[in-house]
Amino acid sequence: MRLFRIFHPRWRKRQRTGYWLTLPYVIFFGMFIAYPLIFSFILLFHRWNVVTPMEWIGLKNFERLLSDPLFFKAIWNTVKFLLVHIPLQNVVALGFALLLHSRMKFRGFFCAVYFLPVVVSGVVVAILWQQLFAFDSGLLNRMLTALGIRRIPWLVDPDIAMPSIALMATWKNVGIYIILFLVGLQDIPHELYESASLDGATGARQFFYITLPMLRPTFVVVVVLSTIGGFSLFIEPYVLTGGGPMESTLSAVLYIYNQAFYFNHMGYAATLGFVFALIILGVALLQRKIIEPEPMA
Amino acid sequence: MIVHRAESISTLLIVSACLATWGTGCSGRTSPAAAGGGDIIELTYWPAPNPQEMQLADTLVSRWNRLHPRIHVRMQAIPVSQSTEEVLLAAIAGKTTPDICSNIWPGALHEYTRAGGLIALDQFRDFDSVALARTPRDLLEPFRSEDGHYYQVPWKTNPVMMFYNIRLFEESGVQGVPRTYSEYLEAAKKLTRDLDGDGQIDIWAGERDIRPIWWQRMFDFYPFYIAASGGKTLFRAGEPDFNDDAAKSVFQFFQECYQRNYFPHTYFQGDPFLLEKKATNFSGPWEIATLRTLAPHIRYGVTPLPVPDQHTGPVYTYGDYKNIAIFGTTKHPREAWQFVKYLLQPEHDLMLLTITDQIPVRGDLLTNPMFAGYFQRNPMMVKFAQQAAYTRGVDAAPDLKEILDAISQEYEACAVYGKISPGEAVDDAFRRTKMIVEWNK
Repeated sequence: MRLFRIFHPRWRKRQRTGYWLTLPYVIFFGMFIAYPLIFSFILLFHRWNVVTPMEWIGLKNFERLLSDPLFFKAIWNTVKFLLVHIPLQNVVALGFALLLHSRMKFRGFFCAVYFLPVVVSGVVVAILWQQLFAFDSGLLNRMLTALGIRRIPWLVDPDIAMPSIALMATWKNVGIYIILFLVGLQDIPHELYESASLDGATGARQFFYITLPMLRPTFVVVVVLSTIGGFSLFIEPYVLTGGGPMESTLSAVLYIYNQAFYFNHMGYAATLGFVFALIILGVALLQRKIIEPEPMA
Repeated sequence: MIVHRAESISTLLIVSACLATWGTGCSGRTSPAAAGGGDIIELTYWPAPNPQEMQLADTLVSRWNRLHPRIHVRMQAIPVSQSTEEVLLAAIAGKTTPDICSNIWPGALHEYTRAGGLIALDQFRDFDSVALARTPRDLLEPFRSEDGHYYQVPWKTNPVMMFYNIRLFEESGVQGVPRTYSEYLEAAKKLTRDLDGDGQIDIWAGERDIRPIWWQRMFDFYPFYIAASGGKTLFRAGEPDFNDDAAKSVFQFFQECYQRNYFPHTYFQGDPFLLEKKATNFSGPWEIATLRTLAPHIRYGVTPLPVPDQHTGPVYTYGDYKNIAIFGTTKHPREAWQFVKYLLQPEHDLMLLTITDQIPVRGDLLTNPMFAGYFQRNPMMVKFAQQAAYTRGVDAAPDLKEILDAISQEYEACAVYGKISPGEAVDDAFRRTKMIVEWNK
């Protein structure tokens, strides 16, 4: 009986309206998600420089990837960035969130100020920090020399360049994580602190035994988001260092970009992107397993 | 409603007509003659976008259009981008290439021919006679493609040589011009000076752009490698062939220049040679025009690049060749070839010399009386004309840009930062080059 309803003119008209309403998203999905994904998958097995016709090369892109030291170096650089960026991001964001959670004046103003870099274009922020980090004329080094401290080669020393970029990225993104921690802090029931106070727990004990455990779901979100964000590190090294010095700031995404748009190796870049996406998926699953609380039995 | 539909259809027709007209692109349009009936063939010519070459192209095209009223050439500078090669590749992809371009870098020719973007010039019966009348066979032969055809005709070369500031040499007490690495390092010791005693070096012996940009190696590693190896390039018979002592000696030389602080570890805005902040500069003949315009007070000399101490024989170098090609999109290949032949005429080579101070790839530059007056007026250019016979271009290898990028990274690690030995740098660069070449097979 239901089968015959689809032939009913009114039902068909209603259905058509539904299809028309979903059409913009279907077109968007087809053009910007499905088509690039399918095309990228096809590219994995081809060599293509945009100009010449695509050439089937089987698994040669994967063979090249396995013997490409620069890709593994770019992955390692990205990991080094994350090792500085994630802890720094968490500590700074939590610190500011705790300050903002306390009863302080101009709370809304400070929230807005901390959030401001998040909404400013990454390129603008990178150019601003390029001026701050400049070895000879940068504001940071001028302040250091005024204090009698030697200048720091922020972006020109291969050992310091990536931590410098991590510092900048933390400044840029910390606002959003402050808001997440603030929400997490506001969700903690006040009774827990009252009862702990009655039992004689100090502020530090309350922090370690109530605040931190109760913020665990927020930590999961912050760590996973900042890991995914960190893995997509691109604008900062692209603008600040171009991947140098000595490829020490060459992130995986920057390397993929270079292969695609600097050397026109679309197929190889698609292969790098595919493998990199698998790595991110693996890391995100691992993080969830480690940090996420076990479900109640 | 009907009116609306009629309007829409007519608008559509007009737009289609416009698009069809535009779609013929810049290539080889044919337009009715303004007078006298018949069709005027229109060709588009892209010269390099620098002011001197634009001026030369403008003069040559105006003269051509006066002499050939039925073949009109439209000159248009190559659109501004990071590199000419990117623009030309994009134009090939979009089928918007000109008919003729005179800024073809041989290193990118492989990409253009693989894309089917160029026509073989030896299809024209008089190609051999035209090309060989101008360029000796040994200089012409390296421009033959793997399939045996010529898709380019060598037009001009800019041999990379060493400029030196005579005043700074005299003030430092350097006697004679260094010819070998040892002599250069010995001179550099005296040339590198802190003039005001503030602990900061004011005059450097030399300077190179320390950023690992692939084309920067065309002014240090690559010409020095050609010089040290007695004229070898990076490939032999299509395979990488630079894992040798010559490459190691070049890395070693630059490493010592940086380690002994004869070269700065910083990037200069502007040209420190023009500011007399460095005593030597590795550059091409275009530097002469720059010096004449921006720093006429500087007394300078030009000499071949330094070579390893045990080197014997002539000193070769990299000649930054720029060649002429005709694109496959042309509708009038015969007329385009006529224009190419016109560009290659001796009187136009003289104009190339006079206006741009760049060396035409001719065998008779120093013997043809037509050029004698120019060289008398510009004695410094004689050195470049002499060096032109001992130049090498780049190999027509796939992905040369990425190969030079790999060498750039090793140059940075070994020479600039001294983190790896010359042997390791050469091995790493060679390994990565082999990987790139294998992937391209």
